[in-house]
Amino acid sequence: MIKQLTLMLGGIQGEGIVSVGDTLIRALSQAGYYAFGYRTFSSRIKGGHTNYVIDISTHKTLSCDDSLDILIAFDQDSIEINLPKLKKGGLLVYDDIVSVKELLASIAPSSYIILPIPFTSIAKQYGNTLMKNTGVVGFLGQLFHMPIESVSRVISKNFNGKGEEIVANNMKVLTACYELPLENNSLSHQYRLSPVQNNQKKASMLGNEAIAFGALMAGCRFMAAYPITPSSEVMEYLTKKFPGFNGVMIQTEDEISAITMTVGAAYGGVRSMTATSGPGLSLMMEGIGLAAMTEIPVVIADIQRGGPSTGLPTKHEQSDIDFLYYGAHGEIPIIILSPYTVEGCFYQTIDAFNLAEQYQCPVMILSDLHLGLSRQTIDPLDSSKIQIDRGKLLNSNEFTESDMPFKRFAFTDDGVSSRIIPGQPFGMHHITGIEHMETGKPFEGNDNRKKMMDKRLKKLQGLKELDHIDLYGQLESDLLILSVGSNFGMIQRVVEGEQLPATYGMFKMIKPMPIKQLEELCAKYNKILVIEGNATGQLAAIIKSEVGFHRKIESLLKYDGTPFKYEEIHNKIKELI
Amino acid sequence: MGNAKNYSNQTTPTWCPGCGDFSVLRSLQAAAAHLDIEPHNLAVVSGIGCSGRISGYLNAYGFHSIHGRALPVAQGIKLVNPELTVVASGGDGDGFAIGTAHTIHAFRRNIDMTYIVMNNQIYGLTKGHTSPLSQTGFVTKSTPHGSIEAPIKPGLLALSAGATFVAQGFSAYQDQLVDIITKAIQHKGFSFVNVFSPCVTFNKTNTYQWFRDHLVNLDDEGNHNTADFQKAMNKYIETDGLFTGILYQNTDPDYYSKLPGERGTPVVQQDLDIRHKFDELMEEFM
Repeated sequence: MIKQLTLMLGGIQGEGIVSVGDTLIRALSQAGYYAFGYRTFSSRIKGGHTNYVIDISTHKTLSCDDSLDILIAFDQDSIEINLPKLKKGGLLVYDDIVSVKELLASIAPSSYIILPIPFTSIAKQYGNTLMKNTGVVGFLGQLFHMPIESVSRVISKNFNGKGEEIVANNMKVLTACYELPLENNSLSHQYRLSPVQNNQKKASMLGNEAIAFGALMAGCRFMAAYPITPSSEVMEYLTKKFPGFNGVMIQTEDEISAITMTVGAAYGGVRSMTATSGPGLSLMMEGIGLAAMTEIPVVIADIQRGGPSTGLPTKHEQSDIDFLYYGAHGEIPIIILSPYTVEGCFYQTIDAFNLAEQYQCPVMILSDLHLGLSRQTIDPLDSSKIQIDRGKLLNSNEFTESDMPFKRFAFTDDGVSSRIIPGQPFGMHHITGIEHMETGKPFEGNDNRKKMMDKRLKKLQGLKELDHIDLYGQLESDLLILSVGSNFGMIQRVVEGEQLPATYGMFKMIKPMPIKQLEELCAKYNKILVIEGNATGQLAAIIKSEVGFHRKIESLLKYDGTPFKYEEIHNKIKELI
Repeated sequence: MGNAKNYSNQTTPTWCPGCGDFSVLRSLQAAAAHLDIEPHNLAVVSGIGCSGRISGYLNAYGFHSIHGRALPVAQGIKLVNPELTVVASGGDGDGFAIGTAHTIHAFRRNIDMTYIVMNNQIYGLTKGHTSPLSQTGFVTKSTPHGSIEAPIKPGLLALSAGATFVAQGFSAYQDQLVDIITKAIQHKGFSFVNVFSPCVTFNKTNTYQWFRDHLVNLDDEGNHNTADFQKAMNKYIETDGLFTGILYQNTDPDYYSKLPGERGTPVVQQDLDIRHKFDELMEEFM
């Protein structure tokens, strides 16, 4: 019986690999296990090799092993490309319609367990070769000794909308493959998953879905967006859900329209967001500046991918940090949240909407492709943590005729002024992207300009004093690892797996930088390693510029389009401890 | 009927004496008064340039946005609060240079709002540069040898993009302009009003007198049928776009009325707390 294994599904893009992987993760989660899936795909719809690596465990997992225990191949390429990653003695399963004679001729028979399975033939027997995908899930259900109910429930849910006959046929394929006799007797025990202590059904989610779901629960009722990989799942979820909650998702003509429409809707009084990736973010920057200048609360999710320009549109990278941190012309207050788990994506999106209204400024949610698109089992989300705080938004009874004229940008101690939305009697006022006076009218006077700049920038001062780095690992050690986003999963796997003497800290907010906490941490530890997915060490450079400690800070960087591997993080840490 | 003065916030416009934009401002105020729109239910969004200042001169909710983006901002406002009267305004640069994509998509989207272009065929605030609506051969600081590009025909663009209300006005014909803006606001859908609003400082070609000499008034032609798309196209081509009046109007349903879901209350009045739906929503991820 095993507690953890990594498998890969490989095949031709567009033939259902994603659906098999997603279904398997859902089924495992239903049976109480944890799974983490990582997809490799390219910018084309059909054709080309694609694979889905899934880590399966009896405890929470947020990364995949570098090598595979099981390789499931739907085509020849998948074997050819990925066999080197299969551990010696590992299991190679392939659809028996794939011709493998030549391919396997060069392999010593004892290197792997090789198992041809008639997935396509069984599917064909029940009417449609596409159902081979269901067959794979059934076969794995058997291999792992999962209860068939947890698998069949997910399959029937998948095909529910497609008619009884399709559900029934898929069930037949599922059962046939679940009950397929395995010639190799030891096999039926070798991959049996250890029972989980807590076999409560669990949910599985993408980071992008968690952002969208978090937004819905936070009261977001407007989204304007332009489709872009890897962020589109956010708009896809909200466009499905909004009609039931009287919300509006609009697909705009471009990202400039997406951000400015979001600004308009937020000014109109509704919690509003957009989501994009690097190229879209470039187009949005002027609109983000407008939101900051007019003190309108908007939320923007940036799911990073490889840049610059079109870059690596379907590959992972964390290289928008500088652009977000220093972006926009002029100087603006902006908050950048950086969730590093799917659960974090949910909770921090709710935070984002609250912070946006409390501080009346743009709030970015900085995610990355690996976090946004990796389906994984999550721990139960706590709905009691959902709180809505609209900041200094005035109700109609809080502003009357005698209070006129309304000063939208009144100077206050904390820099945040009261807000009134259009439609409210007596609150008529003007706002502009031009420098303005307290009433909102354009005014370029020197003293006023300085006071208004100070007002806007001081809003976020208090946040610098708070802790925004979550600490894990052995807190009394010499080495501090600092990182962002999806790197958490692999850092955790390495440090916890080997009980290495290191602390690892994850930023959950990178702007404002938690200066006070960082200064304390940098003073305490002898060595600091910043791990980030870019070529120039953007986060490390910001940390150095904000708190110094140049000689202590080292970087581990990666920018080849893939997330960090176990070995890469492991070797670097070993070098430092 | 209200008083147009109620829609002024007593700010003195920065426009040059004689600027056509004064008349657009007055006409908008008069139309709002005529329709008795309460100032707090009027939102005016503008772009950048001389025209962009208009949102700052109204007793209403005014939003002076950024160059070319008045339309998306205004559409965002209207979508979350259909009870507001939303007017977007801007110059010819806003609408037909930097913001052209937004203009075309606003035409086809048909959100119930009004778009007034204060068209002076020149960039006034940058002190005289050519505009996409400037005539070929037009001499400016950026085209000292004369513009060699063909101008955009706003009305044809609007018609071909599916606009449901297309009209043109002239600053000097204020009564007609008030009437057009009134009808534009009343139109249930996206209404486009292209106003010839002369720049007295930098455009010495398309002057008040030039327009008086060239414009055809559709109201004087008793037989113009605004519901006939083909005739609207023909009329535009026939006059080379030099006319005033309502060119075309249809009754296609507006965007909001086509949104899926129950739309009893405006989005902005929706209760944000949906924790009672949490378990049901969570079930989909199981």
